[in-house]
Amino acid sequence: MGSEAKHLKHKFFAMLPVLLLFFISLNGSSIIDLKFFSINIHYILVYFWVLRKPENLRYSFIFLSGIISDIVFGYPLGVNALSLLVVASVAAYVRVVTVRVTLINDWISFIPAILFANFIYFSSLYLSNYSVDYLYLFKNSIFTFVFYPVLWLIFTAMLNLTKS
Amino acid sequence: MDTRRDDVGISIRSALLDKGTKQKFSLVVLVIFSIILILTEKIESKPLNSVRSFFKDAVYRTSIVISSPLSMVSGFSIFIENHLTLSRNYNELKKENDKLKNNISKKNFLELENSQLRKLIDEQVDSDSNLLSARVMLDKQSPYLNSYIINIGSNKNIKNGMAVLSGKNFIGRIVDVNFFSSRVLLISDLNSKIPVLIEPSANHAVLSGRGVKYPTLEYLPEKHTIKDGDVVYTSGRGGIFSPGIPIGEIKIIDKIISVSLFSDLYQITFVNIHLGNLKKNN
Repeated sequence: MGSEAKHLKHKFFAMLPVLLLFFISLNGSSIIDLKFFSINIHYILVYFWVLRKPENLRYSFIFLSGIISDIVFGYPLGVNALSLLVVASVAAYVRVVTVRVTLINDWISFIPAILFANFIYFSSLYLSNYSVDYLYLFKNSIFTFVFYPVLWLIFTAMLNLTKS
Repeated sequence: MDTRRDDVGISIRSALLDKGTKQKFSLVVLVIFSIILILTEKIESKPLNSVRSFFKDAVYRTSIVISSPLSMVSGFSIFIENHLTLSRNYNELKKENDKLKNNISKKNFLELENSQLRKLIDEQVDSDSNLLSARVMLDKQSPYLNSYIINIGSNKNIKNGMAVLSGKNFIGRIVDVNFFSSRVLLISDLNSKIPVLIEPSANHAVLSGRGVKYPTLEYLPEKHTIKDGDVVYTSGRGGIFSPGIPIGEIKIIDKIISVSLFSDLYQITFVNIHLGNLKKNN
């Protein structure tokens, strides 16, 4: 009985990133937009889990979640999916080349992930004749980077729950 | 040097091409698939549009269910806020009502005169029967796209470009039509450009969304006489919308000519779609 409860708990926490990913997409809350700043939690979620435990967050789910975000926000299909996959690609590369996991390593390597992803995001919207607020995108990138350690701590706690 | 380059190559190959544990697709395959999807977005064909419409309708319905707890919470906070400002609103409305009562006889006369003049110049006179009501299903405000999803689509003959009103005030236009839903691009969005006429100066301009509360006026003549409180209407130029639909009033903030909209875009539950000449033609 005890081991079954533990197994269920383990399974639930292992599924949590996927549930969170789809909740964020369907609820249209990938970008937390507060009065003075905004944070893209979608990027942080994808980056962290692909870097730390890709088994819990399949690439196909990331793709699907991006497509759902595109539909909810009314963008051309594939724009969000592509930028999330770019974030996942950078995370996968960093995972291959790094040995020690530290917050500083993860945090610094998150910079190219945001830059590449937002460049792709901006380019795809520009090519699809959508106007983009450049300043907003820039501020969003900076605050997403600044906010990364907070979510890193929360996700690390979640990750430890799947291990224990 | 060569060894280092080889290492980078191997790492990239390993990260992007290997499926890894529990992965069904490699990243490269999905990236290529995303690019194909973006490229096919511009292709308009009936089977493709049907598939897109089906998926969009399904996602919108699921999104309503998922967002309902959060919507209830935000609805409750708005309810409380409305009650707190009730007394102030009552006094303001009483004053406004008295003012409107005084204006009503003048307005009726002007309306009659206006319709007679329009008939004289053989222009289409629109009536309320050209409106179709719809409910706002989803109002996910993206920082980059201010839009609504409404609960009618091609099943009710909705077409791209139709004007969307809140009461009798213009708030946006249809930009995407599915079977049972459509997307309304709001006037405040960065991509929204509406030809307008400003009264009483009779200046033409383009009302341009900025992604914030107040859209601004562009392409105004150099020597315009626009001042605070002037009323902005659709001009009907370009033949997309009917002329004379009220939008808002001029509000000059820091020398920037903005428009304070008559409708609060974030408090809308029902909208009217202006069918234009469609209903009459049918």
